[in-house]
Amino acid sequence: MMRTRYRIGVMFSTTGSYSVVARSMLNGAMLAFREVNDSADAISLEPVVVNPSGDLASYRSLSLELLGSDIRHVVGCYTSSSRKEVIPCFEKFDGLLWYPSHYEGFESSDNVIYTGAAPNQHVLPLVDYLASRVGSSAFCVGSNYIWAWENNRIFREALTARGGTVTAERYLSVGDTEVDQVVAAIIDQRPDFVFNNLIGTSAYAFFRAFRATCRARGIDQAAQIPVASCTLSEPELPEIGADAVDGHLSSSVYFSSLNSPENAAFSRAYAEAFPDGPVSSADAEASYVAVKLLAAALAQAGTDDARKVRAAVADQRLLAPQGEVRIDRQTFHAWLTPRIGRSAANGQFEVLLESREPIAPDPYLVQSSPRFASAMRSPLLKVVQS
Amino acid sequence: MSSRLLQNFKGGRAIVVTRHGGCEGALETTLAKLGVSTEYPEIVDGRAQIDVAGLQPDRDILFVDADLEGVVAIEVDPASRLPPAPVIGLVGVEAPSRLKALVNLGATSFLRKPVHGGAVYTSLFMGINQFLLRAEMYERLQDLEERRRGRRAVIRAVILLMRQNGLDEDGAYSLLRRESMRARQSMEIYCEEFMSKWAKPDTSGRTTGITLRGGNKQAI
Repeated sequence: MMRTRYRIGVMFSTTGSYSVVARSMLNGAMLAFREVNDSADAISLEPVVVNPSGDLASYRSLSLELLGSDIRHVVGCYTSSSRKEVIPCFEKFDGLLWYPSHYEGFESSDNVIYTGAAPNQHVLPLVDYLASRVGSSAFCVGSNYIWAWENNRIFREALTARGGTVTAERYLSVGDTEVDQVVAAIIDQRPDFVFNNLIGTSAYAFFRAFRATCRARGIDQAAQIPVASCTLSEPELPEIGADAVDGHLSSSVYFSSLNSPENAAFSRAYAEAFPDGPVSSADAEASYVAVKLLAAALAQAGTDDARKVRAAVADQRLLAPQGEVRIDRQTFHAWLTPRIGRSAANGQFEVLLESREPIAPDPYLVQSSPRFASAMRSPLLKVVQS
Repeated sequence: MSSRLLQNFKGGRAIVVTRHGGCEGALETTLAKLGVSTEYPEIVDGRAQIDVAGLQPDRDILFVDADLEGVVAIEVDPASRLPPAPVIGLVGVEAPSRLKALVNLGATSFLRKPVHGGAVYTSLFMGINQFLLRAEMYERLQDLEERRRGRRAVIRAVILLMRQNGLDEDGAYSLLRRESMRARQSMEIYCEEFMSKWAKPDTSGRTTGITLRGGNKQAI
């Protein structure tokens, strides 16, 4: 049988401040490419891999380069700022970006298929968990860009609606590792927990410094001021280091510790394919899912025309490592299964809670936010350190 | 003044006044993602068939194609310049006459044609919240206007108390203020009623009727 071969762009910043997660995403995508090409499917895929190194201008120029070479589909981007940077390119060339990461929502481009979690699948379940089981006062930290700004806003509104308070918000530039002032402010405020939206090296430095400072002051950080994130994943735990790796909460649709035949097969294949790491993560799984869905949609559409593939992907269902995943026909976001995990010393997450079934994506929080923005007072402190 | 911002448009109804020609682009599909249903009223003899009396400002949003001259016949409140529901203009030809027509309809936001999906949320957010803000500002303006009119009664009441009770200006004003608060009325309304009672005395004769606190004197 003659197989139709499609060239697919793969764009992850495998160098730069958030490269650890991006390399696991690349691995997840490459594993799926391998499986598709090893299968008896009517199509085969040729990945064309580029690395923007975390530089926004490079994301744009590399997207144009890929789309200009007759590539219609690109799996890529981790940060929302990079995704927003390249969307105009995909709209201009009528290509499809397969975006495989959780993000802050309030977007629904016709030229993007979103396989990562929407805010109702990560931050809202986390607020539920924290408000009901941990406490009511939060200190928010984040990297100074759209992800942390918006995720903190959603978090703040949801927590306030449940009677909680945000005592402060602090932001660091992406890649900034001078976290001592933030740590001192948290110790001073003594919130019930910290909501963390720092990414990459900033997050790792923060986890280390916060744990060390708490330890020096006789505070059991994990028990007394736990840190909760929507970003923290397995490949990042070794980057934090053994001294501060355990006891961190994470809201995610996938943990590599999930107990299912699909995840066992995925984890085994991933480990065999990439023995040097980084280990798999939620975003690696979302990248794997994105390529699998892309392949299925290409096979059904019989062409790589973006509109036809987009129409075809809405019919796809995949028994993914996290459970069933399907694409919502209206928003082109994925139905996913929210979970809350806690990091352990062995570099894995213990799953504390999970949804019984996949839940519908709600990128604009139409079904899960009040009609009016809550009229809360401003946080006591809001500092941007750039 | 701190307005509450509407940020979730679920349950809204968009009434899109345009001729189907593809210019509305991604409007309907994007509105659906935001929980807003879309209706296209029929246009008969150049006029959109809209039940203006049935428009509900907390539910309905009018999208008006500015290229269709005079297609919408809604009455804009002459004082507030507010339409009966938020109006968002669909701008094709960017000419002053077309834009002026949108301003005259009370439009608070716009979308360029063909509509791009990525612009719809912003336009809806701005259009509805500017409408709410303008309505709130108009209410405040009306309230201030009422109070401005009532200041005449305050001045007259102060002078009356000064003349009849031998109070100075500050004392008379403080007394009226205290009594208006006790009556849970604005100064202006309290003074209007106070002067009205004084002008039409009951059988006990002309009296200001205010008991002066801190003493046993009854003002007469």
